[in-house]
Amino acid sequence: MTLRVAIEGVSFWASRLPGWDIARAVILGEQAAPEAPSARPSPTLLAPTERRRAPDTVAVALEVAARACEAAGRKPSDLPSVFASTHGDLAISDYMCSTLATTPTLISPIKFHNSVHNAAAGYWSIGTGSLAPYTAISAYEYTFGAGLLEAATQAICEQRPVLYVAFDIESKGALASMAPSRGLLGAALVLTPVSKSEQQRGLILTTESVAECQPTEARSAAAPLVADNALAPCLPFFEILASSNPRTLSLALSRQTALNVQVN
Amino acid sequence: MSATQSAGERELAELIVTALNLEGVTPADIDPEAPLFKTGLGLDSIDALELALEISKRYGFQLRSDDENNVRIFSSLRSLAAHIATNRVTA
Amino acid sequence: MQSRSLRITAYTLCSAVGDGTAATLAALRERRSGLSKNDFGPSPIDTWIGRVPGLEEQPLPAEFANWDCRNNRLAWRGLATDGFIEAAREARDRYGADRVAVVMGTSTSSIGASEEAYTRLDPDGRYPADLRRPIIHTPHSLGDFVQHALGLTGMSVTVATACSSSAKVFAQAERLIRTGLADAAIVGGVDSLCGSVLFGFNSLELVSSEQCRPFDVERRGINLGEAAGFALLEKQAPGGAWLLGYGESNDAHHMSTPHPEGVGARLALNDALRRADLRPEDIDYINLHGTASQKNDEVEAKIVADLFPTATCASSTKGWTGHTLGAAGIVEAAISLIALEHQLLPGTLNLRVPDLACGPQIQRDNVERKARHALSFSFGFGGSNCVLVFGRDR
Repeated sequence: MTLRVAIEGVSFWASRLPGWDIARAVILGEQAAPEAPSARPSPTLLAPTERRRAPDTVAVALEVAARACEAAGRKPSDLPSVFASTHGDLAISDYMCSTLATTPTLISPIKFHNSVHNAAAGYWSIGTGSLAPYTAISAYEYTFGAGLLEAATQAICEQRPVLYVAFDIESKGALASMAPSRGLLGAALVLTPVSKSEQQRGLILTTESVAECQPTEARSAAAPLVADNALAPCLPFFEILASSNPRTLSLALSRQTALNVQVN
Repeated sequence: MSATQSAGERELAELIVTALNLEGVTPADIDPEAPLFKTGLGLDSIDALELALEISKRYGFQLRSDDENNVRIFSSLRSLAAHIATNRVTA
Repeated sequence: MQSRSLRITAYTLCSAVGDGTAATLAALRERRSGLSKNDFGPSPIDTWIGRVPGLEEQPLPAEFANWDCRNNRLAWRGLATDGFIEAAREARDRYGADRVAVVMGTSTSSIGASEEAYTRLDPDGRYPADLRRPIIHTPHSLGDFVQHALGLTGMSVTVATACSSSAKVFAQAERLIRTGLADAAIVGGVDSLCGSVLFGFNSLELVSSEQCRPFDVERRGINLGEAAGFALLEKQAPGGAWLLGYGESNDAHHMSTPHPEGVGARLALNDALRRADLRPEDIDYINLHGTASQKNDEVEAKIVADLFPTATCASSTKGWTGHTLGAAGIVEAAISLIALEHQLLPGTLNLRVPDLACGPQIQRDNVERKARHALSFSFGFGGSNCVLVFGRDR
């Protein structure tokens, strides 16, 4: 089965690659990555009440979401969205588990209401005033591919542009040994069912049953900068977007199902 | 500023700014007689719960959400600080 | 592409009222609640819970030991009920292991295992050896387990949009089948009791110290519950009820409070009816979200009173099961299917005096009558809404 969509907007943010322009230049070897990591982005589209409560997951997800919509020239409130994260808010999970182990009645209500996997999606909808549906998913090491496929599926089924946002943050405490992840990493795309211009990159997505998935590996200078983040499997896709040449890559959807992506 | 903060009010103002991560507000800026909620600092019901938790941790007593005096207690920094001064368990 | 109706060729649920559709039907008929005084964990807060008995003594079979934890044990209990696992394996053999997608919903997945690890960290602050299994410390624990338990190899995704999670799985699965990415899908959801939700909802002062009383004027909040539920969706089949439509939206209002006019909920409802090509007059039964929180019930009652004729019966079944969070969507989908199959429209347990916002649609008592179409409402934290439409026929 083949799904065809076009990319209207791209964005990317990592602590050492703060923005798609820098990330693309580093991937293409045109510039070195900044030595110092950037501070987490500020979710400026939120009202003060929500902004002061926004944890790192929300900050990085909203940054890339807003930039992708800008790049696409789309009003955020018009777009349904798919939010994908391998582990969700690892810092809050660590906080919840530590507090429950010691003083369970002292759980912070704000941290608890931020602990849901759909917190970033919820803040995004509040900040943009979007009533369009969102979803929030996880598929462990297959998260990026699963989210990309769900976003493409929505674009085709509903015949409207869809925002896709993927992110993971740094793990904390004892949980870090089970769910290792370093730094902040976020990436977003606006996908549309029909390409409106020659400049837009087209994606052809097909799934394939295989004996054992062999996902395309990252190989640019950006790779070591995000390799420790749980969302690192997204990088090969953005390496291909960085170059203007058509190429094909393979992402994993499960151990035995590949998502082949032809980027035109 | 329309009124000066007492020492207890300043301590509480610091707790509010830290616990709720208030942006662009320094503890000294909080007018002790201005409303904390909605129009004043723009706090809402979940902030009230968070604040009640932090107050219980710091001052050792529970603020009850079903207390009918809450509107008065939470009306300003001054009234909340006065309530804490009367009810605090920890020194 | 138009959304299409799908056959529900098998379904099951396992909650505090019992394992399987027959036990659930009996509890509904007998008005027997599954709620009990909270005895979960070493220092239980004063509330009632919908606890599934026996999970502590039922480890997963050895071949699935890597996934063993309370949430996946509950998933396994659900799969083993009503012959669901056999139906799923038949579908696997019929379509191919790579052609049956797994789409699971949960709110907290197996965070309970991480919570337990933190109570038993070794002197170096590391996890105890028996819990050093990364897959149970991540949200996809559930989807990954169900896929392996059923011997499937295609797509497996975990949806986590709080209390709408296992309603939205029907929508995602329908899209996968419509675009041809799968021929059938196992949808469902599992959430199990854990400290995070008991103490978390307690911190928001949303839990009730008495049995929850949905839509009652004196309701005092929610009771948490745990449950598993599953459904098998297929494009074509000789029998089974129908998934006729779904609607999704969100409130864009507040992380933990519904929109006062239910703007998002109404959008989801309209979208669901449009896809099913039905009007409010066509709906015989609505299984409401009805958590017994002050705000949810008030908003939901208004929507029903505004939009549905008096002949539509609506109720909340949380008084039987408690609020099973990420599993609520599938549990209440299954109850809606039971209602259609047995022509028993459950009322609302523990409802004595209805809130002023309630119209005549909201039923206290069970109603036995012919019913063809049912809706299930699921609304969650973060303002995520989902409405499902089921039919006995098309």
